[in-house]
Amino acid sequence: MPFDATDIVLSFLKIAVVLGALLNVTPIMVWVERRGSALIQDRPGPNRVGPFGLFQSFADALKFILKEDIIPEQAHKWLYTIAPMFGLLPALTTIAVIPWGLPFRLPAKKLFGHVFFQGDYFFDPIVADVNIGILLIFALASLGVYGIVTAGWASSNKYSLFGAIRASAQMISYELALTLAAVSTLLAAGSLKLTDIVWQQTQYFYIFNVIKIPAWNVFSPSMWLSFVIFVVSAFAETNRLPFDFAEAEAELVAGYHTEYSSMKFALFFMSEYMAMAAMSALVATLYLGGWDIPWWNEPQVWWASVLTMLFFTLKVVAILLVFVWVRWTIPRLKYDILMRLGWKVFLPLAFVNILIVAFFIAKQWI
Amino acid sequence: MFEFAIFFFFAAVAVIFALVVVLHHNPVVGALSLVASFFALAVMYVLLEAPFLAALQVIVYAGAIMVLFLFVIMLLNLQHQPEEPTRPVQQFLGYTSSATFLIGLVYYIVKYAAFTALPAGPFNSDAGLIGAEIFQAYIFPFEMVSILLLAAIVGALLLSSRSVGARAQ
Amino acid sequence: MIPTHWFLILSAVLFAIGVCGVLTRKNGITIFMSIELMVNAVNLTFVAYARQFHQLHGLIFVFFVMAIAAAEAAVGLAIFISLFHHRETIDVDEANLMHW
Repeated sequence: MPFDATDIVLSFLKIAVVLGALLNVTPIMVWVERRGSALIQDRPGPNRVGPFGLFQSFADALKFILKEDIIPEQAHKWLYTIAPMFGLLPALTTIAVIPWGLPFRLPAKKLFGHVFFQGDYFFDPIVADVNIGILLIFALASLGVYGIVTAGWASSNKYSLFGAIRASAQMISYELALTLAAVSTLLAAGSLKLTDIVWQQTQYFYIFNVIKIPAWNVFSPSMWLSFVIFVVSAFAETNRLPFDFAEAEAELVAGYHTEYSSMKFALFFMSEYMAMAAMSALVATLYLGGWDIPWWNEPQVWWASVLTMLFFTLKVVAILLVFVWVRWTIPRLKYDILMRLGWKVFLPLAFVNILIVAFFIAKQWI
Repeated sequence: MFEFAIFFFFAAVAVIFALVVVLHHNPVVGALSLVASFFALAVMYVLLEAPFLAALQVIVYAGAIMVLFLFVIMLLNLQHQPEEPTRPVQQFLGYTSSATFLIGLVYYIVKYAAFTALPAGPFNSDAGLIGAEIFQAYIFPFEMVSILLLAAIVGALLLSSRSVGARAQ
Repeated sequence: MIPTHWFLILSAVLFAIGVCGVLTRKNGITIFMSIELMVNAVNLTFVAYARQFHQLHGLIFVFFVMAIAAAEAAVGLAIFISLFHHRETIDVDEANLMHW
């Protein structure tokens, strides 16, 4: 397919924006987590390093960089070193197919004696709009298991291996429920592309022909069950409480990253928060209407697009706050109850939800 | 031009990691190299205008089957099993016969597989089209495969439960 | 466009590497992984031909092969685990009860 310099430059710009946002999530979320948990637990939290403890993340990063990097004697050196990089893979790549703004038309401009954007050039704020959009996310998210399993095994430590096997069994079980719950939204949109899913949610439901509510999937009664299943499975996929058997402080020392120190541990830490951000972006896209601003038919111009990007960020931030809130509220589930929930409760319910959505579509209520 | 660069790079990745699987003594390293090889094959599928299959390859093979392999290796602690080196005569016969096989295959492919030009236009291999085909022409194999998977699950559960082994003792 | 016979040659190379693994190694899990490699080489051939003739049948065949390979891997590994419980080793030369 013919592409020219303009396409390449704009693609690089999109990648820079997305990567910049994603890599900055970790320090911000660390601060939010620590202050938020302090708020919930009625204590001050970090408030010494800078105003409201805002520079705490920098202090943490400095500590991670300056710490001594220890590799255990019995560990398999190569695998021990590349395991944290496996963990980053799903977080950094799944964000590439998530649309974060309204596509807008770039008018032809004459700069430095050369005309840019001749004809109808649409700037689509999504790094890679592939035909199989959501399947790519599921494919890359399922590769996240390898980071944990390799880290646990390469540490050559019983507790690490145990934590790693439990965590990876949990992750692959809840992947099924996650995928099937997302299929309901795909049925409503009729396409695998995430941009199509968001465009379908820019329309409206008319109740009693009078009240107009935006056709976000979370407002459609057929998808409430799948919304609950998806959000809970997102918690399980990112190994957050109440499903954090991978880390399980006070049970497994620190689970699969017991033997990791300094920069490698920081990479695991980062990959967890980035996976959280990517999952929140996915929840926002599938259920909360993506970049859609409710009750406004956005014109496809640049300032409307910037507003939609802002709204998308707000939705992602809201879901991240829910992640933090749930972590400090709900206790950890016992492991066999967790597995039973994934296989015996969520999987059948996700199937039932697909049938319900198919019924709604057949009756043209969606 | 980019397509050729991508093809050569990922073909090299696939072949090199396949060699690591076959030649390395540690099965965990072998399993992870096989994952890398499968990922390179998924890129090959994208080059062959079948992106749906590429996603399926990563989801099913790299994401599920190889995790199963890794689980079994780690739970049975198999990396500590000392593997005796194969007898030299078996090694020699194995390498030479597979090399002969490879040379014969490549010779015949280069000699006889001169295809006509590719049909013009894109290859429409959407998920929708494949799904329509599966649910119309291939519905019977589809249902049979689901029964096969059920049989595989039941069989795997029965075979790996310890009570069978204890009774046989 | 990349000529189809390049993909066929890649598939042949992967298949031959798989054959080499099955014939040369004694570790059961490695033999299993070589078999999976062979199956994938054949999948690549199917997809290459599907693109050559612009037909979906090759892709659907690969779809079914993947499902069946998953079932086969599960059952094969279960047999392996059972063998391991009996013999405490995964060396396939040790599974020789029916040897003469």
